Amino acid sequence: MFAISNASGGYSESPVIRKVALTVEKNEVVAILGRNGTGKTTLMKYIMAMLPVSAGTVSLDGKTLPEKTAGRVKAGIGYVPQGRFVFPRMTVVENIAVAAVACKQNAKETIESLFSDFPLLSQRAKQLAGSLSGGQQQILAMARALATKPRLLLLDEPSEGIQPSIVDEIAEMLLSLNQRQNMTILLAEQNLDFSLDISSRAYIMDGGTIVQSATKQELMSDKKLLQRLLGV
Amino acid sequence: MSSVAILLIATLGLAVIFGLMGVINLAHGEFITFGAYAALLASGWGLPFPLAVGFATVSMALYGVLVERLIIRHLYNRIFDTLLATWGLSLVMYQAVVLTFGSVTPGIGMSPANLSVGDYSVSWYILFLILVAVFLILLTGLILTRTNYGMMARAAIQDSTMASAVGIESGRINTMTFALGSGLAGFAGAILLPAFPATPSMGFAFSIKAFLLVVVGGPVTLTGIVSSGGALGTIASVVANTWTTVLGDIVFLMATMLLLRIFPKGISENWRIKL
Amino acid sequence: MANKTLSRQQNFWLAPVAVTLVVALLSFFIEEYFAYVATSWLIFGLLGLSLSLMWGRAGLLSLGQTAFYGLGGYAGSIAAINFSHLTGNTLIWALPAGAAAGFVSAALIGGIIFYGRMGPLQATILTYVFTLLLWSVAVSFTTEIGTAVIGGDNGLANIPSLKLAFSKDAADLQVKEIFLVVLFISLAVYLALRYFVSSPFGIIIDCIRLDSVKTEFLGYDVRFRLLAFFSVSGSVAGIAGALFSLWANYLNPSVFSVQEALLVPVYVLVGGLGSLTGAFLGSFAVGGLSFWLGGGVAGGQTTLIIGICLIVTVLFFKKGLHGGAGVLLSYFKKKKESINRTAKVTDLAFGEKSLDFLTGHFLDVSPLTLATSAVTKTFGGVRPVNRVSESFLPGKVRCLIGPNGAGKSTFLRCLVGSHKIDSGKITLGEKNISRMESYARVQSGVGIKMQVSQVFSEKTVLENLWVAAYSKTGNMKAALSTAKGMLAALKMEQRRHVLAGNLSHGEKQWLDIGMVLCLRPAVILLDEPAAGMTDEEAKSLSSLMRFLAKQLTVIIVDHNMDFVRSLDADVIVLHQGEIFARGDMQQLAKNEKVLDIYLGRRKNVRNI
Repeated sequence: MFAISNASGGYSESPVIRKVALTVEKNEVVAILGRNGTGKTTLMKYIMAMLPVSAGTVSLDGKTLPEKTAGRVKAGIGYVPQGRFVFPRMTVVENIAVAAVACKQNAKETIESLFSDFPLLSQRAKQLAGSLSGGQQQILAMARALATKPRLLLLDEPSEGIQPSIVDEIAEMLLSLNQRQNMTILLAEQNLDFSLDISSRAYIMDGGTIVQSATKQELMSDKKLLQRLLGV
Repeated sequence: MSSVAILLIATLGLAVIFGLMGVINLAHGEFITFGAYAALLASGWGLPFPLAVGFATVSMALYGVLVERLIIRHLYNRIFDTLLATWGLSLVMYQAVVLTFGSVTPGIGMSPANLSVGDYSVSWYILFLILVAVFLILLTGLILTRTNYGMMARAAIQDSTMASAVGIESGRINTMTFALGSGLAGFAGAILLPAFPATPSMGFAFSIKAFLLVVVGGPVTLTGIVSSGGALGTIASVVANTWTTVLGDIVFLMATMLLLRIFPKGISENWRIKL
Repeated sequence: MANKTLSRQQNFWLAPVAVTLVVALLSFFIEEYFAYVATSWLIFGLLGLSLSLMWGRAGLLSLGQTAFYGLGGYAGSIAAINFSHLTGNTLIWALPAGAAAGFVSAALIGGIIFYGRMGPLQATILTYVFTLLLWSVAVSFTTEIGTAVIGGDNGLANIPSLKLAFSKDAADLQVKEIFLVVLFISLAVYLALRYFVSSPFGIIIDCIRLDSVKTEFLGYDVRFRLLAFFSVSGSVAGIAGALFSLWANYLNPSVFSVQEALLVPVYVLVGGLGSLTGAFLGSFAVGGLSFWLGGGVAGGQTTLIIGICLIVTVLFFKKGLHGGAGVLLSYFKKKKESINRTAKVTDLAFGEKSLDFLTGHFLDVSPLTLATSAVTKTFGGVRPVNRVSESFLPGKVRCLIGPNGAGKSTFLRCLVGSHKIDSGKITLGEKNISRMESYARVQSGVGIKMQVSQVFSEKTVLENLWVAAYSKTGNMKAALSTAKGMLAALKMEQRRHVLAGNLSHGEKQWLDIGMVLCLRPAVILLDEPAAGMTDEEAKSLSSLMRFLAKQLTVIIVDHNMDFVRSLDADVIVLHQGEIFARGDMQQLAKNEKVLDIYLGRRKNVRNI
């Protein structure tokens, strides 16, 4: 359903990611694993057309995606960035509504349905997003991405810097998204347990390229591989 | 009070453009001038004053679209280049006014008697401007909070990368923002006409103070300029009324320097409010 | 070419002198009126030069240059009016007075800007406000200083003309003579500034523009240097103002007007930002254009056309006329550059020889202990560093690890002073450095390499190292030999003339490390130095750090556990701003609690 091929790119002429290829099937949850600095975030930005320098193709349902970030979002890719980046001087409602209207969705309906999925947000509807805690912002960033009615949801380190209880909640939310609403999910993670909780298979990145692809079972049984992956 | 109101009316367009696009439009003063002449032109055709003001606002908004497409768009994220290009634009616009209407210093006024407000004197008109200022600020606030455009524009300036990552097309939004700001400038020129007769350099006098208010106001533009305008305008007009206008200006500038010294990034740098 | 700043171009004065002589010759064939007008272009060129210096070199667009210019003009004319009858010659009064007035006023404004650490836009606005303020004051200010009468809006009249001869009845110079005098003064100022910007001081100013944080981390007091540079630029503007007053014999507040203030950046921009020659090119182009247009071609539309030209220049010529002329040149340069880029990179690793060099390099550096006691830093509601007390001494490498957001980088920033701590105490040896500015801490012996490598992209590899070494030695020759030694130790000799911006990611990391070592620090702080390095490079870096740690205090933050293990380090685990655990890697790997936080393992976790 979703495919990247021959992807290279970075912030200057020296590429950070090199010749990356991967695919995600419909209704799958796929993780990209790797330590800090192996190029996971850059790959995510590559998919969103946010890199100054890039080459290669990204396609969704067989169609090559547009060149511009906004176009890719409208084509059906929802993005939750590393570090959340909610709009700090807008309320929770506005954060969601702005994404909905930008993608020609009905703002009211979108907000109602997301608030029923994320009751935590509805309690804080009128609060400025900048005053939420990190975990709450993460959930808001997810809701915001969902407001664009994506077919594929990208999450960049959704568990980073978030207290364990909320990480648990987020994992649950993602699982239910996948199982009940058939959402296809691609996430970049450093946190192995979190990723294995929700994904069915994973790509492992190192040095800006994918070095291995493995199913959940393989990863859980091969401890050596895991140790090498996390280096601890 | 009224001088603060006039200051704010003249500043609002610039503030909208700076607050939502991060662009400082040095031709803002000439946009005001154009607005004033547009209103004159329209009332020359026999339109009543309120319609003439409307004409000035709309035509300046369209002009703003043109300017954004032709110049501003190509200079995003090059703030100092934008500064210089808009200054070039201000020279061109100034000269265009001089060539078309002549540089008559007394200016072409519009006596308030012609207005729909009836036979109120100018001082009444200036009081009326206070209402206009309040109305205008509320209206701008509503546009920015209640409309889809307003939300998208605020998202775009708060985090442009993320804005495009939720599907906002910043190009279109910026065109609309520039049009809104230009329209507000046009409106200012027209509505101030009964109190400040049109001359080619009328806008310039406003634009310097407007410019300073916006920078001192800082990132939360709307409340920022209301506070900086309130503070600076009040101090300056008190001094001007007690002593001389020149001293008023000097105090205005001194206060600006002082505020910049205390708040190097603008007074609203750490405010946690929407607008 | 690439080595120009270090070996000093000996012949940089040849071309300008030749051009000046040609212009001087030409002046005998032009009309008197033209010479008169062209004199003003030269003066505006000087004014443009003062901005070009500040904007192009130090990165601050100052709209206050006309203020310094105007003040210089007033001061110069007051001096000339009052004292020139003593000597006849007017220049020796007007020029120093003008320069001094410019210098002092720029120092005043610069002090507010640089010591207030203002943002660039705010700084520009502040200079603009200063100009406006002077204008408002000048229009209504009337006073008499000696025989000089300042008449507010009426200006200051009766300014003596340019006189060179030292006799009481010296005659006014002819129009063309004035042109020549101004021409040669411009040449002299230009050459002096060229020399100035290629001096170590000028190179450091360049570095501040490229990366002021890194420059401060190399131990340079950035604020003071910018202030000094700004004052010099102000004095050049003041000289231009003094010349203007002698040329026009009349001054009024319009020199402070907004139009004037904005015209100066136009000269610079049209001529090409960053080149000193560009200022003159720009003033002649703009002046010439309006002279030509005003002389009948376009009459009243001069402003219109200048406005259009300005818009077009900004839109289409990013680097102005000077830049446009350099297009061909840069084409050739690019070719050469690409050859350099493909040059084979030998493996960047410290070998035996390199270590020998470092042994000598660090010979007289005595060990220092860096200690923190209850150091706390708060941002808003978050406390990324919470009462951290620890002593760091030589012997073993010390590593900080911990989950993202645990406060590692913030802690390093507190140590080097780019964050000011809220409470607690940091000592270096016996010295309390808690409240010191970064540059002072670096001078006391702290060296830091941040997470993202910081190199001066428009400087060559050798120049980068030299700037670092010069901070410690203060001697050009000694710095050069240190830089060359470090270059050899880094095995980057083949890359010495490559611009640092063109290096690969890994090479930049090494260069940055080399720059830190050039400082001969007693304490080295490294934030994720192995990121972007190959395994081989990481190994080499690891052995280098173990070697240095015998004598120096080495603190490393890294996520790469292989790397940390290879350092054989004493590890501190930070978690939520506090020290969570200590020990070597073997001990920590057995520590369940550490595994929990670092892996994010949770209670309901599956068994993996």
